[in-house]
Amino acid sequence: MPPKTTEGAQQPGTASSFFTVPPPIKKLFDKFPLATYPSNDLPQRSPSRRQGNQLFVFTDAAGARNGRPSFNPQCLKWQAYLKFVGINFETTPSNNHASPTGALPFLIPSQPIETANAIPSHKLQKWAIEQVHCEEEQQLNLRFEVYASLLDTRVRTAWLYMLYLDSQNFEAVARRLYVDPATSNTLVRTALGLQLQQAARDELLKTSKYIDVAELEGDAGNAFEALSSLLGDDDHFFGRPNPGLFDASVFAYTHLILDDSLGWKQNRLAQLLREHQNLVQHREKLLGFFA
Amino acid sequence: MVLQLHVWGPAFGLPSIDAQCLAAIAYCSLALPKDSWEVVASSDPSVSPTGELPALQNGAVWVSRFRSIVDYLRKHSNGAWDLDKQLDETSRADNVAFSSFIESRGQSLVDLYLYVTSQNYYGNTSPAYGSLLQWPNQWILPPKLHGAAKARTEHLGLSSLDLQAMEDQRQRDHSAAVTAGKIPKNLIQRPRDTVSSFLGRTAQSNHFRIEALTAEFFEPLEAMLGRKAYLLTAEDEGTPSSIDCIALGYLSLALVPEMSFPWLRDAMRAKAPLLSAYTERLRRRCFGDAPIDIAHAFAPESAPESPISWRTPGRISVAAVGTTLLSTLADSTPFLREIRKNNGLKKVAQSEDSELSAREKHVLNMHADASKKDMYLSVATVVGAVALTVGYVLQVGLVSFGSEEEEEEDMEEENGEVAYPTAADFLGI
Repeated sequence: MPPKTTEGAQQPGTASSFFTVPPPIKKLFDKFPLATYPSNDLPQRSPSRRQGNQLFVFTDAAGARNGRPSFNPQCLKWQAYLKFVGINFETTPSNNHASPTGALPFLIPSQPIETANAIPSHKLQKWAIEQVHCEEEQQLNLRFEVYASLLDTRVRTAWLYMLYLDSQNFEAVARRLYVDPATSNTLVRTALGLQLQQAARDELLKTSKYIDVAELEGDAGNAFEALSSLLGDDDHFFGRPNPGLFDASVFAYTHLILDDSLGWKQNRLAQLLREHQNLVQHREKLLGFFA
Repeated sequence: MVLQLHVWGPAFGLPSIDAQCLAAIAYCSLALPKDSWEVVASSDPSVSPTGELPALQNGAVWVSRFRSIVDYLRKHSNGAWDLDKQLDETSRADNVAFSSFIESRGQSLVDLYLYVTSQNYYGNTSPAYGSLLQWPNQWILPPKLHGAAKARTEHLGLSSLDLQAMEDQRQRDHSAAVTAGKIPKNLIQRPRDTVSSFLGRTAQSNHFRIEALTAEFFEPLEAMLGRKAYLLTAEDEGTPSSIDCIALGYLSLALVPEMSFPWLRDAMRAKAPLLSAYTERLRRRCFGDAPIDIAHAFAPESAPESPISWRTPGRISVAAVGTTLLSTLADSTPFLREIRKNNGLKKVAQSEDSELSAREKHVLNMHADASKKDMYLSVATVVGAVALTVGYVLQVGLVSFGSEEEEEEDMEEENGEVAYPTAADFLGI
């Protein structure tokens, strides 16, 4: 009986294979896409209307209009450096996804030498030297790299702890600055917040077995003390007449730590920093560049 | 009370395989009277309640990490055992800055040299661990340390020193090519790895990067040292300070070990001859003239006269072995790991002698409770999802629970019918 034979041959195919798409799900997916929308227009701030150098940093729209300091230490460092050496630029609010290297800041110069020429942060100094012929400060003093390592390790880890892992600060500051502008979806916000905190935790656990808050803060305190005696009574680090890259690196942290408008709930680092009045005055003087 | 310094055991002729431990040993040997301390090569972080080495034990008090040990020794001796008391304000600042510089840069270089560079890890570091660790730690700890070192140096972009990572990358590229082009596997030509092509590639891609990294590290130190006897003080006016101990810890690991691929030692000798001589001099002073053998640590009476007095580590007990095995097993089981982490946090929060304020304890407790809730939530989610899937599968009938005999019979019948179709079926008659 031919009909029965064909039925028998098909039955095991659908019933026994675990990997075929179940019919209801297949039916559901057959309906997609439900509708195809026309593509969006380019955003208002798109590059075609751009004049001048554009520095892409973490900031908000109002901050970008008024040229306020960025709330991210890495971005603020380069923003401050370019201001100190006298390069004109506009800041544009952005995020990591927009950057060719995956990290902010980056700069698109006004006069393109080639077509693809976004300058990532580690090449910004070289670009600035080509533009205004300022000095490469690392070469001038052997202590530059050594004291810079204080900022890159001790101050940075204490900062990461204070911003991301102190739960009150995270809710009050980091969530408002980094998470909320990214999306309005509560679920995505929660996930993003957890990701940020986990990333910070992983970063701290890379160098030690557990996170010892007292030690992090003690180390940061020592670092501020060392920086303070390096600055001494000078106006700028290494006795330079004009502020430079090292001043920008220090300012990036001291400004954000002392900036009460960010809304810190716990700010142990500011207490430690205020013990060194010359660093506080250094920050206030340099803040004048952003007025 | 004799202070006991627990460290990772000796290797490569040095008293420890770990830079921080070497620094701690050097500090004790310079600052403490010889009969007031001894070194225990326990090589097991779990001996200390802090879970880290080096750890200083004074009766019931445990202190770990180099800087905390230095602080503790100063307080314990009312300022007598303090190498840094001679420093003025500028030198104090330099002391802090250079410590942080050596610890961050030196750690990356030592990680790259001993762990990430495959030839060195498999040829030298791994065997060294094998001889200084006891069973079962020799199977558990080295891969953990290897992984941690790789994670710490990932951002430097020198994974090409790591042959395993390169092989993985090539296989990924290969399979990507297969899937992207839908080219039959046997038609893609696999690049043949000759010795010269391999050497050429690694040498070229790494050379400049390594050159830059080592120069950045050694040049400021060489300039700082100059013709002085120590990094911060000249011979006639002072003694070494804590920065010299840290420098010795990292630099001796770069200079002393005989490695299969000695790029760091070559770079140090070429770029920093004064620093190399200084390291050798300080090493003799702190660790003694004779190279240290593993046997010295386990049988102190056989050791020659040296500034370090060893104490035989306690035999590892059956209970300790059991605990290690169980905790390793538990740590690699997804949910158990979370539970253990939270319990660890809570224990710290509740223990009486921890130096946390009441508020910090409260916060820590809240965090532990919250993450426990998170974990229960995720367990519940997974269980729920599995239940839903199984329910759906059963309902749609993808899997049916008949008795096995029936199924077998069915299969046989089906096979029979499929296997012998009549000619009439094909012809559609």
